[in-house]
Formats: sequence, C-alpha cells, structure tokens
Amino acid sequence: MPKSGSLAAYALTRLFLSLPMLLILLTIVFAVLRVIPGDPIAALFAGRAPPDVVAQTRHQLGLDLPYWQQYIFYLGQIFTGNFGTSIGENYHGKSVLAIILDKLPATVELAIGAMIVASIIGIAAGVVSGTNRDKPSDVALRLYGTIIFVIPVFWLGQILQLIFAVDLGWFPAQLRFSGLPFPNQVTGLYTVDSLLQGRLDMFLVALQHLVLPSLTLGLVLSGFFTKTVRANLLRTVNADYVEAARARGIPEGRIISRYAFKNALIPVVTVLGLQFAILFAGAVLTERTFSWDGMGMLLLKSIDSADYPMIQGVIVVYALIIVGLSVIIDVINGLIDPRVRY
Amino acid sequence: MEWLHSRLVRPFRPLIRERHTLPGILSWIGLGTLIAFILVGIFGPVLVSIDQTKALAYPILLPPSLQHVMGTDGIGRDVFARVIWGTRTSLMIMAIGALLALVVGFPIGLLSGFVGGKVDRVLVLVMDSVYAFPGLLLAALIAAVIGKGIFNIGIAITVIYIPLYFRVTRNQTLSTREELYVEAGRALGARSWTIMLSYIAYNVVIVIPVIFSLSAADTILTAAGLSYLGLGLEIDIPGDWGRDLSDAQRFLGSGIWWTSLFPGLMIILLTVGLSFLGEGLNDIINPLLKKERA
Repeated sequence: MPKSGSLAAYALTRLFLSLPMLLILLTIVFAVLRVIPGDPIAALFAGRAPPDVVAQTRHQLGLDLPYWQQYIFYLGQIFTGNFGTSIGENYHGKSVLAIILDKLPATVELAIGAMIVASIIGIAAGVVSGTNRDKPSDVALRLYGTIIFVIPVFWLGQILQLIFAVDLGWFPAQLRFSGLPFPNQVTGLYTVDSLLQGRLDMFLVALQHLVLPSLTLGLVLSGFFTKTVRANLLRTVNADYVEAARARGIPEGRIISRYAFKNALIPVVTVLGLQFAILFAGAVLTERTFSWDGMGMLLLKSIDSADYPMIQGVIVVYALIIVGLSVIIDVINGLIDPRVRY
Repeated sequence: MEWLHSRLVRPFRPLIRERHTLPGILSWIGLGTLIAFILVGIFGPVLVSIDQTKALAYPILLPPSLQHVMGTDGIGRDVFARVIWGTRTSLMIMAIGALLALVVGFPIGLLSGFVGGKVDRVLVLVMDSVYAFPGLLLAALIAAVIGKGIFNIGIAITVIYIPLYFRVTRNQTLSTREELYVEAGRALGARSWTIMLSYIAYNVVIVIPVIFSLSAADTILTAAGLSYLGLGLEIDIPGDWGRDLSDAQRFLGSGIWWTSLFPGLMIILLTVGLSFLGEGLNDIINPLLKKERA
C-alpha cells in the first residue's frame, strides 16, 4: 500500500486487495454446487423428477462438462453480469439477475432498518454500561449484550409478533406493504419511494411494516454493539488525553461526549464490517418470519423449486455484497481515523 | 492417560480456584446448564414416550395444562415431549459439528502456524474469506446440496466453524512456537514433526474448551435456523426445535403462543449457558496463558 496518496488511490488499492477474497468465495460456491460428492441436481429435485429430467437439466446447465470448463464459464458469467435464466417454476425462463435485483431492495431496506435499531440501542447501552463500570446497570447491560446475541432471531420475531401484532395490533406481522397501491418503483425501498412520490400515507404504511422486522433483527445485533462500545469506551475514558481534559476541569459529561465517545466509535465502525455476515444471515431468517419478500425468501423458494441457476446467482450476489461492504467500511475507516495512512 | 489428564483436567483447576469471581460464576452456571441438558438429552427420551411426539397423539392446540404442561401443537403432538426429544437432536448435531470442525480445523491451524510463510498466508486468506461470509447461508447451500439429516446438518455446520478452530489454533501455535522450551527441543536435535506434535500441539490443546463453548452456542442457533428454514432434518425426527418453531408460525395469528414460546426458551437456555461457559473460560484461561508465558 502506498504510504501517502489520495483517498481515491487508497480505495482503489483496497478494492484490488479484495479480489482474492472474492475469488476464494466464488470458488467455494462453485465447489459446493458442483464438486461435493453426490449429485446436486438430483439432491435438489429430491426424487421429485424422473432420472431423464435430472440428466437433461444437468446437460442443459453444462454440468456434465469438465470442471475446468465449467469454472471458466462460471467466472465469465459473473464478470459479464450474465447469471443465466431461471429453471424453477416461479420464474421459469426469466433472467436470474433481473429477479435478484427486484428482490434486493427489500433485503437492503430490512438491513438498514436493523442497523439503525442496533446502533441506537447498542450505542446507548454501551455508553451507559461503559460509564457505570461494574455498577448494577453495567452488569445488567453486559448480561443483556450476552443474552440477546444468542437468542434465535426467528423466535424473537415470533414473540414480538405475538405481542405487538396479534395482542396489541400496533404493527402488521407480515409482508412489506398492504392496504394501499404500491409506491412507484424507483429505488425499491418502499419507505424511500413513497416519500419520493410525496405520499406520506404510503410512507407510514411502509414504515409500519418495517418496524417489527427491523426491531427483531436490530435487537439481536445490538448485543454486539453494546459490548464493543463498552470495551472501547473503557479504554478511552482512561486514555492520557482524556485524563488531561479531566485535569483541566472539564465536566465529566462533556469529557464523555466530546473526548472519549468520538474515539470509542472508530473501532465500532471497524467491527461493523464483521457484522454484515451476521446481519445477512439473520435477515434470511427474519424475512421468513415476516414473509418479507427479499433475497432470503428468493433463495429458499429457489431451493424448494430446484432452481439451480437462481440459487447460484443469489449466493454469488451475497458474496459480492459482503466483499463490497468490507471495502466500503475500510474506506470509511480511512476517512474518519487519522491513524489510517493512505 | 496421563496426557489426557493433564490436558483435559488441568484446565478445570483454575475453574475451581476462580469460582468466586464473575468469570468463575458464569462458567459454573454455564457448565451446570450444559450438564443438565446432556442429562435431559440422555435420560429424557427414556422417560418421555416417543408416541407423544407423533402427529395426532392428542387433540390439537390444547393450551398448557396439568396433562400437557406445555400444551399440544397444531398436529396434536405434546410440546413438552417434542422439546425433550429435541434436546437429544440438538446435542447430537452440536457434537458432530464441533468434533468435525476440530478434526479439520485444529491440524490445519497447527500446520499453518508452524510452517508459516506462503502456505500460512494463503490458508489465512481462505479461512478469513469463509469467515466473512454469512455462515447460515453457506450451511444452507451445503444442506440443500447434500440433503437433510442429523449427520448432514452436522457437516454443513462444520464448514462455518473450521475457520474459527483454525484461527485460534494457528495464533496459539504462532506464539507457542517462539517459546524457550521449543528452542531447547530444537537445539537438542528434535525433528520438526516431534516439535510440532509433542511440544506445540500439547500446549495448544488448552484453548479447545474455550473455542468449543464459544462456537457451540452458535452451532445450536445455526442448526435450529436451518430446520426453521426447512433445510434441516427429516420430518420423522421425534424432536427438532427449529422445525417446531417453523410449525408454530402458522398459528401465531390466532394467538397460539405455547408452540412457539417453549421450544424457543429451550434454545435460549442452552445457548446462554454455553456462551456463559465460553466467555467465563475465555476470561479465566486467557490471562492464565499470558501469565504462564510471562
């Protein structure tokens, strides 16, 4: 990495360095879908199709070619952005990429909602915990951080549905939108699209549907935030520059908010990058619990209908997103942390 | 035997000494919970008849009562019986997943840390890439391709945890490699294999209980998640917490809470116990490792 240079150069370097990781992930997906002992097409059909259909499907997808030919074809497909056409009953003959891009915004909207919930709860809890070290509130919040993290996200979703949807009737338990005509598709995020259209009523409906799934996923993720913020705050409140501020008689509240807190947040951005794996895994489960029509649901439906190209496409898109986000997080880190030299 | 004793029993000695500190208390609560679940997993199915876990054994959707402490579900199965039988299923998957991850991850980590150089860099890159990918998605993909079943789910889950076992083993190996006694062994003319297997591996094994308990909670969650998504076990398995929660989904709208609440509570009890054990052990054993080295 160059010792000095523009942020753009740093971002480009970082992008370049992420290529091996992307290639490894793509190779693993290739291997799982082809080289694993047994026949993936037969396993996906699970006896629901006669052998000649299985053989024909395999031939049609080029799965009877030598592995090296398949591998080149597979990488070629991904880098030219042509993911093939669906062979499942739901989207037969349609472009895999078009269907995925249609479902992607739902997952993105859920992920953003969950991240907002997780940051608010996690940072607040982390600050309270870190500034009240070893007091009862700290012990309670540390327990919260440990326990909420190992609660099954789909179970939490069901319990929140029982309380807030079935019992209190505050929020809908299913789907992304209902009762009104759908907002015009611009970004695919219903909350954003309805605002772009200037329809506050649509926005409220979209938001109402978004609350429970975001809360479910966000709560589970907040445990990790709580722990990280607490640990970093403990490190910074005792740092020399904070001690110096204290010696100058600056009030403790101001010290926390102006001096310690800001630097405690930098490592949080770094670990945020590690959270995306958990976020997207959790999103698949949350989508199922709330019938949220995103990428996770698409993957499950594709597995159900033995839609091999679609399964491969969805997993590859997840891999691209994960690698892309890790680059973005690194660049943001370079922007906010003066210790990162580029 | 002496080897086993010193490696597997000795780590528990600090657990006894530290029993009054917070990490110690957490570890003991966690260990107690795990043992309780193992006992339920072994003896529960002996005491609770398998017939109660089958469809149409009872009227459907009975709320909790003295006859059915956790009620009955949408196809007339006793929720309590399902929950008890599910304990055995979960523990079996956990054991298979952890054991396979250990068998694969430990030697690779040991080798990678010991050999170093290019091999190490490549292996770290591969393992880090796998680790960055959503584990549940990878496991779902593998499960979809190799099919349902307790053993298959164990395999699917293993893939997620190999990187964890690899990384901890490798880092531990890297630091152990620099120890004086390893240097001494080398000076005495011990061969590389001997050094790796009997000098280093010996001292790396100590971290295994920590990795196990830290990853075990996640194993339970992932296995339940796969079952919940319909990718887990065959339908005739007498107990499967994830599938029970999936079945419960349909009846939530009518306010049927017991088919969801109880299987979920079992998962949480076990995962919280395991993570208490993991975090407690981590706090106890890690400083100890540092102290030994200092």
